This record gives sequence, C-alpha cells and structure tokens, in this order.
Amino acid sequence: MPFSKLDTAAVARALSQVAERQEDVVDAFFERREEVELAPEGEPGALRVWREEGFAVRLAREGRTWLAARDAIEAKPFAEALRQVVRVVPSAAYPEPMLEMAPPEPVNAPELPEFPAALARAVRAQRVGFPLRVAVRRHRRWVQVVGPRLVAAAESETFYSCSVESSWGRYGALLPRLDAAAAEEIATAVVARFRARQALPPAPFRGAVVLGPAAVAVLLHEAVAHALEADTLAQGGNPEAAVGVAMAAPCLDVLDDPAAAPEGVRRTTDDEGTPVSRRWLLRGGVVEQPLADALWARTSPVLLPGAGRRGTRHLPPGPRSSHLEILPGEALESDLFAGSTEGLFLPEASRGALDPLSGDFVLHLPMARRFHRGALAGTTGPCVLRGRVSDLLTRVVAVGREVRPAGAGWCAKGGQKLPVWATAPALRLEGVEIAP
Amino acid sequence: MSLAPQLDEILRSLLRRHLTDAEIYVKRGRSRRLERTPVTEVSATSQERAWAVRAGNRRGSFFVAATGDPTAAVPWPEPVAGRSLELPEPTAVPAWSTPSDFDTPLIGEREGLKLLESLGRQLEVELPGARMLRAVLEDGSSEAELANSRGLHASTRSRIATLYVEAAEFGRSVASASLYVAAREPRRFHPTALARRLADRLAVTAVGAPPERDGGEFLLAPVVAAHLLAGLLPLFVGPGPGSRLLGTRGRFGSDRLTLIDNGRLPGGAFESPVDGEGVPTREVVLVEEGAFRQPLLAWWQEGAADGEPSGCTRRAGWRDLPAPGPTHLYLQPDPRTAVASLLGSVAQGYYLIDVTGPGRFDLAADRFSLPVCGFAVQSGRASAPVAGAWLSGGIGAFLKGIAGVGRDLTFHPLDGMIGSPTVLVAGLELQKGRG
Repeated sequence: MPFSKLDTAAVARALSQVAERQEDVVDAFFERREEVELAPEGEPGALRVWREEGFAVRLAREGRTWLAARDAIEAKPFAEALRQVVRVVPSAAYPEPMLEMAPPEPVNAPELPEFPAALARAVRAQRVGFPLRVAVRRHRRWVQVVGPRLVAAAESETFYSCSVESSWGRYGALLPRLDAAAAEEIATAVVARFRARQALPPAPFRGAVVLGPAAVAVLLHEAVAHALEADTLAQGGNPEAAVGVAMAAPCLDVLDDPAAAPEGVRRTTDDEGTPVSRRWLLRGGVVEQPLADALWARTSPVLLPGAGRRGTRHLPPGPRSSHLEILPGEALESDLFAGSTEGLFLPEASRGALDPLSGDFVLHLPMARRFHRGALAGTTGPCVLRGRVSDLLTRVVAVGREVRPAGAGWCAKGGQKLPVWATAPALRLEGVEIAP
Repeated sequence: MSLAPQLDEILRSLLRRHLTDAEIYVKRGRSRRLERTPVTEVSATSQERAWAVRAGNRRGSFFVAATGDPTAAVPWPEPVAGRSLELPEPTAVPAWSTPSDFDTPLIGEREGLKLLESLGRQLEVELPGARMLRAVLEDGSSEAELANSRGLHASTRSRIATLYVEAAEFGRSVASASLYVAAREPRRFHPTALARRLADRLAVTAVGAPPERDGGEFLLAPVVAAHLLAGLLPLFVGPGPGSRLLGTRGRFGSDRLTLIDNGRLPGGAFESPVDGEGVPTREVVLVEEGAFRQPLLAWWQEGAADGEPSGCTRRAGWRDLPAPGPTHLYLQPDPRTAVASLLGSVAQGYYLIDVTGPGRFDLAADRFSLPVCGFAVQSGRASAPVAGAWLSGGIGAFLKGIAGVGRDLTFHPLDGMIGSPTVLVAGLELQKGRG
C-alpha cells in the first residue's frame, strides 16, 4: 500500500480541529491511481500510462459541503486545503502532518500485450474472422480515508477495461481479470454482434421477453440501484418514504454487496471509510434499504451509510451502488423460454437510462433473438425496451436459477465515472414493450 | 516563471535514452465548483498540477501523464512498437494579446451561489410551479507550457466557466429540462435569460405533443442548429470518409451556408494563439456560400486532402492525448437578418427551440434524427406547443435546404464550441418517432 508512510494519526488530529460541532462530517480522502493502456495497433503512443495522486479535505455542516482538493500529497497543500474548507483564518496555524507516500513502482503490465492476441484466437475459434482494433487498459486505485476519530483501512482496486472496434461497431467491457475466460466472454459478445450486424430490428412488439444476466444487470442498475439512491429519491420527496414500497414483482430480491464483488474490486469500506454492508435494496420486490452515504444517513435513522462512492477526489462522494446481486430463482432455462407465443431473448444491453422524475426507463439492446416453444430462433437487430420502472419491474414472472457475474460497466451519474459490477440470473418478463 | 530550462532537461534525458522524438506538456490549473440542489449546497475548490510526455523513435513510442512536477528522474517505460511519433516543427506565431478577462479572479463562493440562487428564483418567476433541481457552476483557469525535441516551445493560458442546470415543472405531469452553457467567465451567464430558456422548454414539454408526421418550414433556434452541426463534424474534421461523402469540391450546401473554424476567435471560450501541440491557430473557412473549401486538417494531415492545415489539435487536459477537432466552429450569421423577420416569413411550419436528447447521425446513409421541442407556426405565429418530436431528414437536404440565417450567433459546448445563429430550413420532417 502506498499509504504506509502517511501519518494518519496526525491527519486525524488536524481534522479534529476542524470538526467544531457534533454533527459535522469532516474527512480527508487520499488516492493514488494508475492506468496502463495498450492502445490499438498502429496508433502512436502505443503504451499509455496515467499516474495521479492527490487528496481532498471535506467539511459538511447543515446541508452545506466545502471541499478542497489538490494534485499532490504533501504537508503544505494539506494545511492550505484545511484552511480553505473552514473558510476562516485560524488563530493558530493548522499542523502540517507528515504526508509521505511510497514512490510508485515502475510500470509493469505484462498481461496487457498478451490479451489482443488471445482475443483474436478466441474469435477465430468461433469460425469467424474480421479485423478488430483492441484497446486494453489496467485500472489500479488505492484509497485511504481519514476522519477526525476513525482511520479506515486502506483499500485498493484492480480491474481491466477492454474496447473492441470494428467496421460494424464498438464493444466495451469491464473485467475483474484478464484471462482466457475474459477473452472468451468478449469474443462471444463481439461475434454475436458481428452475426447480427445486418439483421433488421424487430417490429414493434409487446409480449414475453427473457433478459440474459448481462441485460438484467443493466436493467437493475438503472431501474433499482439509481432509483433507490438517496439523492435521486430526494428529487421526488423524502428518501425514507421509499422504504416499504412494493416496487417489483415478489420474486425479485436485489442487493448491493461491495464485499461480495469480484476479487480485485471487493471492498470492506466505502469511499468515506464507512464499513460496507450487504444491503437489501429489494426483498421480495419491496424496498428495504435505499443507498445512502454518510450525509444522507444523517437525515434519517432509516438510511444507513456505507454506499458513499467518489469517482475522483475533485468531487464529493454520493450514494451509489458497487456490486449488485440479484438472487437466483427456481426457473430452469426451459421454463424461461417456455410458452406457445413468440418472445424475444435479449442477451445484453449496451446502455440504459432512467428519468428519475417520471420513472420512464429505456434500455438499449444491440441485438435480440426470437424464441418460440422453448427454442431460440432468428436474430434481430438493435431494439429498445421502454417502460415505467413501477410497471416494468412488476412484470417479472420468473427468475433463472443460475447466476453469473454479469453486466459490469461504467456508470457516469453526476459526472462521476465509476465501475459497477453485478451478479445476476436471467429474468422473464411478460407484456413488455419493445420498439425498433 | 517559465519552466523552459526544466522541460529542456527532461527532453535531453529522453534523448539520452534514444527517444529522439519527445514532447513534454505541463499544466497548472485551479477551479471552483459550486453546486446547488433544493437540499444541499457544495463548494469545491481544486488545484491541478500535472504533466504529460509523448516520446518515441522509429521503433515505438509511449505516452506518460502524471500529477506533480515532471523531473528527468522519472523511470520511463520502454516504448511499445507501433506507429512512430510525429511532432510539429516550430513555426512563427502571429501576434496575439492575452485577453484581459484571463486575469479576472475565479468567481467567489458567495457570488457563485447567489448566481445559482437567482437562476432558481427567476425560473419560478418565469414559470410558477417550476423548480431548479440541480445547478452546477464551474469556473477555472490554467496555464500550460509545452516543448518538443524539434525546438518548439509554447505557452498557453485558458479561462472557462460552465453552467449545468436541471429543472422540472410539477404540474399534472412532471416535465423536466436541462441546459449546459459555457463562457469565458461566469459573470457572462445571465440568470434571467437562462431561466427563460428553461421555462420555455419546460412549458412546451409539459403540454406539447408531436405531430404524427409533418413537413413545412423549420426555424431552428441556435442550439438546435448547433447540435445538427456537431452531429455532422466527421464531414468537416480530417481527411476521413466524411469529407469525401458529399464530394469535397462539389456543391455542399445552400449559398447561405458558410462554415468557419477559428481557434483564435476573439472572446471564444477556447481562444488561443496555438493549439495543443503548439501549432499556430487561425481562421479556416470550411464551406463558403455553399461550396466546400476544405476540411479541418492538422499539420500531420497535410496532403491527405485538399486544403491548408492549421493548428486544430485539441488537448482538453493533461490526461488527454492531442487529437484534431474544432475549437470554435460556427455557421456564419447574417447581420442584417433579425430572428423576428425569419419567424415572420414562416407560413406553415415549426419553430424548434431546443434539443431534448442525443441525436442519431448516419452519414453513410445520409440520414439524421434529433429529438426536439418547440412550437407549430402558422403565418409567422406560434400556434401550438410541440414536444416529444423528432426532426429528421437527409443530411444533404438540411445543408442544401438552408433558406435563411439570423444574426444571433451563439456558441454551445458540444464537441468543442459549436456556434450557429437561428436558421430557417426547408426539406425536413417532424414526426412522432425517430424516423
């Protein structure tokens, strides 16, 4: 950990001088990031490295937050930032704690150059061939949060992102590991898109759809996680009023559990240093525990902190999900695709969006497959699933019994770009509207 | 104080490693961010200190960017084989005076929050029942220095403020709207004008409906026309397929269409004497009275298409690799034409006042569609609100169908600053679906 030489006790003492009132939230957030990218073949600057470190000091009092961030972890800027958040010239100078960081290690990412070739092999193994431009990036982040009373354990995250461009489109994925299984997963997705490239979008349709785990993850990230963030709920009224509302079909159990995320991105504390919890967002379709950070948790005893995340030190944290878990049901694959009328299988979603005020929801699907009497049939081109969250989630009639890690992606709410992860089964919904 | 000696030392250290082509970019910045919602207020200040190096030789190259101060002792990575790095030669930079507002201090916390508060209050005055949900004001300034192994040295300064506002009207149904504007400094944001724009958008969204499918004359507000131009940028930037699509020397648009990009546009948000690689910026006429003159070409694209290159390589920040793009690309206004006279000339059609979401542009198929809102117009007067509609048609039809341009040129932060006055156009359709 790069923070081993950080004098966290001295930082805590300095912060305690700022926390004048019992209800003040004061903390210091230190981060180091490293990203290493292997750019697509033929581009200049084939190896790209980004390294940054810095900190932010925050004071929140009576609904107002002051934050000062610096691109360096040094004593003098820290003392300046402290003065900036308290906005007064103190009678005595704030102490300058020793803020020494371990030097960064030399760039070493031997797994990156291997991956484009592994991906090309995995594509060829599916008996197709087309030119691909592959960019693969390793993301590493180390975080240390210090409060006036508590010093959380330092946390770290490592994951990968991969983007594949071809003449027929672009595909992007987040991966906890860069191994053969990851290459296989991406190859399957890009080959499916390649094979659907000339397929026509389906005609407007209302009926049964089966969402694959990857599409379920996007759906529930938008329709459940974003909808149950305390700041989103506050746009329509009191966040705690959501608790107890039947929001989805009784067969739906949705949790946010950062501690159960894939290895490498697993967390024991959030970006405010609060221990994370296994948070039941929906239990039996009923809202149990909205997502809250330290500030929102102070507004109501019903809201629990532990879901504060920040995309960068330059912005204050907000309530966000990390790792969504949708509990498995009883349905076998044959049950999901059963029925005499034709339906659509939606294996994955490229993106989704929720209008928090109206509850209107849209899920963009790059391709679909028809199913009839338990069997998959022809492929269709891109389409869109639309609906109101309150209506859509009650249309879930069956939950698959097999869960798998799925639907990892970037979430960019409020300008804070964060990786989000999910573990999900397939879902069957009835009476869903699909448009070309 | 110039960092030139320090930068030269780093370039020498790279040369000692046989990295014959090298460039170093150093940036210092500061910004204030003020955010207001009905229940919270955030005041954040940031200080940025970072650098980026591109280096390579015939065999390969790398890009390294980091916070802090650059030193010659950085453990540089091994270059990875790929296309070799190309860097510009130094050229004379035409005279340029630093605008005086570059020196104005960042907006104060109290002043900025007051501006946001005033915007919320004005909105409620303009449209009772409307409420500001979130407003974010960002104000920043920076200085950058750049040096490369060809002997190029350049320094730039920048100053920009942005304002993002989300608002809603809670009537029988909930209508929402947002706007995003940029200017060199936040004192140029006028709460009353912005509140009116939001209120108009909320009012038409709340009660408007789309036509099933209709044509006529379309009066496009500057923001709508700017979004259309932004969607067409591949036609104007670089020697790519876009510039060949419509025949680079053929008739490109109506004779009312003159498109210009100017990196040193006086008063522009990105006004600068040099681009992100230190190459002098200048005015480039891309389309003149409907005739395509040239695409926007970076120095290394010289000869790849007809036209003279210019300094058009953007570098949004230290994390970004330089890439060509417009800085202030705009449709030239007609100073003699008032918007009211354009509106008065519409016998039957639509006045589209805003864009409500991302558009779709298929340059190969010559089609676009853009979600919009506004008013139906009969005999120069608004007759009904329109919302949930898509403006669609052929890209060529739009460019060739421009029948008039107003004098109200305004710029919008899209892909660079894209500017347009109000535009009168025929040959398009408005419909309920995307088309």
